[in-house]
Amino acid sequence: MSSLFRGYQPESFFDEVFAGPGATRPHYGAMLGNIGSLSPDDYSALQRTVDAAFLRQGVTFTVYGDDKGTERIFPFDLMPRIIPQREWEMVEAGLIQRITALNLFLNDIYHGQKIIADGVVPADLVLSASHYRPEFRGIKVPHGIYIHICGTDLVRDGKGDYYVLEDNGRCPSGASYMLENRNAMKRAFPGLLHSLPVRPVDEYGTMLRETLAHLAPPTVIDPVIVVLTPGIYNSAYFEHCYLAKQMGVPIVEGRDLIMRNDRVFMRTTKGLEQVHVIYRRIDDDFLDPQVFRKDSLLGVPGIINAYRKGHVALANSIGTGVADDKAVYALVPKMIKYYLDQDPILPNVTTYLGVDPKECDYILNNLEQLVVKAVNESGGYGMLMGPSSTAKERADFAERIKANPRNYIAQPVLQLSRHPVFVDDHFEGRHIDLRPYVLYGDRVRVVPGGLTRVALKKGSLVVNSSQGGGSKDTWVLWEDRPDMPAATPPAA
Amino acid sequence: MNYRITHRTTYAYSAPVGISHHAARLRPLETVTQKCLDFRLNFDPQPDLLTLHADAYGNEVASFSIQRRHSRFEIISSSLVSVIAASRPEAPKTPPWEEVAELFRDPVAAEFLDPCEFVFRSPLLVHEPPLRAFALPSFTKGRPLLLAVADLCSRIHREFTFDPKATNISTPLTEVLENKRGVCQDFAHLAIATMRSMRLPARYVSGYLRTRPPAGKPRLVGVDASHAWVSCYVPGYGWTDFDPTNNCFTTEDHITVAHGRDFSDVSPVRGIITGGGKHTVGVGVDVEPVDG
Repeated sequence: MSSLFRGYQPESFFDEVFAGPGATRPHYGAMLGNIGSLSPDDYSALQRTVDAAFLRQGVTFTVYGDDKGTERIFPFDLMPRIIPQREWEMVEAGLIQRITALNLFLNDIYHGQKIIADGVVPADLVLSASHYRPEFRGIKVPHGIYIHICGTDLVRDGKGDYYVLEDNGRCPSGASYMLENRNAMKRAFPGLLHSLPVRPVDEYGTMLRETLAHLAPPTVIDPVIVVLTPGIYNSAYFEHCYLAKQMGVPIVEGRDLIMRNDRVFMRTTKGLEQVHVIYRRIDDDFLDPQVFRKDSLLGVPGIINAYRKGHVALANSIGTGVADDKAVYALVPKMIKYYLDQDPILPNVTTYLGVDPKECDYILNNLEQLVVKAVNESGGYGMLMGPSSTAKERADFAERIKANPRNYIAQPVLQLSRHPVFVDDHFEGRHIDLRPYVLYGDRVRVVPGGLTRVALKKGSLVVNSSQGGGSKDTWVLWEDRPDMPAATPPAA
Repeated sequence: MNYRITHRTTYAYSAPVGISHHAARLRPLETVTQKCLDFRLNFDPQPDLLTLHADAYGNEVASFSIQRRHSRFEIISSSLVSVIAASRPEAPKTPPWEEVAELFRDPVAAEFLDPCEFVFRSPLLVHEPPLRAFALPSFTKGRPLLLAVADLCSRIHREFTFDPKATNISTPLTEVLENKRGVCQDFAHLAIATMRSMRLPARYVSGYLRTRPPAGKPRLVGVDASHAWVSCYVPGYGWTDFDPTNNCFTTEDHITVAHGRDFSDVSPVRGIITGGGKHTVGVGVDVEPVDG
């Protein structure tokens, strides 16, 4: 290895690359033998080239509530994160189990509510979730699937064990960065990926398309699929375009769609064309002003009627946010036990619920040691990092928790695993997480890879892109490189 | 008692509307005390598309679109409804309100899951501390549920002034509570949110009142338009309706059209238009008793 790693200290954290000072983990060997042998000058030149490429290609995202310019590139760190096959198999099985249970849960909640009637989960927590949509009870959705696209956030603790941090079952974003990161690697190191047993991620577009096509009304042979975006001001607009391009389908805004006879049509240069499946990247609230928020200009009035009648399919379905609620998250292990009679393969992080008076007291008395999160926020907004907070911030949060305990949960601060990240001219350890993408169509598939997010600020545990996070390419390895890709496991 | 009801909603637009989508909840419900013998919707202009479905609360929704230019629009619902007065449990014999609230704490029994949907906040009604403070004088320790409800109902009636100019559809409840003025919708919302702050289920009822009172009785408040009142859940008995605007439990003068968590679930006609400029809405309701 070159001087790139001189002075690198894994410290007391679980380091993805180093088992101890100077001792690399075996699955990193081949990659380090190649990339790791570059001189610091060459390496930093490559990193700069890649950064420039991201900017040129407009691989950006938007930060809300920031008045200095809005679009930013998503900082990319060249050194890939590598997951060995054995570990990945466990992660994959755990994700499949989880999305299966979440879908059974949603189907139950919007129909018979057996899980509540059987006393397994509290009515209180589920029915009071702000994304629970009682208006939607009793409506049949295609194949009974609610979450078709899920981006589950995983972290590893100080011992290297995987935990689920949260499920994103509404409109998870980031898949485009996963794909673009891989492309950047291929450009920076031509031929390298080919020579190593790295599983490809580029099928994501095809898999997403297949997943969506599976939802089309059964009588349609060649369904018309579109991506519905709120428009150019949305933080993930780049991704909406990118995924539409990957799938080879049109991207539309609400005003491009019109309703005729409870069917959805797209305005095209050749007249109206019926749409069968909509990959919507608009929140429930804004989707149909006739049913939800009246002041929404982003949605399509009448679209819910078309969905209810089965003339059009929506992915993800309506009301999946109830499973995204961070307090409902705490119940997922119980759902897995109840619906599948299995133990969770991927455990949850210990979670204290504000709604439980005893746990709420615990939260209020231990704010300094906990991460407090608002149950419906994402992107690292509405969060208190106990150990790095000021007394005033804690007092503020305590007031907010007391005023609305249902709206908050707390978790112990996990010492997230770290990965070397290139800083100026050398490597330093930074905390990371992993967001793999799970697709539920005719079966459940997990893309072998995902988005590894990096907390770029030294010591920071917040990896969200909107809070100054960056990302890495994520390599999942074949143990022995097979000639043919192995069959993916069927849905549970 | 049988009623012939005509409910006319007229929109006039200052500029033509290219396309409009509406959802109407106008058909009177079928309940144990009410039968809808006849129901018709008339439109002008005629919609190009009309479909019916039942929503999650059992209300019939007519969704329709007019896909041609128009500068006015009228929808008239005509129904013939037969109502008998609901029997009511004797208020002093209803269980203490705390016992009822306890039924909706976890674990909630399967039979109470349906009413349990109405314990939590809803699109227009969030839990606010002042509501609980307003509730407390009525919900004294050990008071039978319906006595507490009757007290709440009479306090709203006594302390609040019916004033159609004071509020509009989007006036927040805290403002109603502060100014002590509003209309039937505000009073219904206030009663619902108050009950929910005590963890009791309560739902919103939209409907009508008979226009002309029987000889010798006073004319009720809220005629000539849609009316709104509240339904509370009495275990072992079911939903029981009361009308805070008129300080009474409902009688055969109240005709139920729809149930929901709050007004947003049951608004009689809601719509989305493209174009239209400024618009004005006119509503007229006529409820005539007929020989049954």
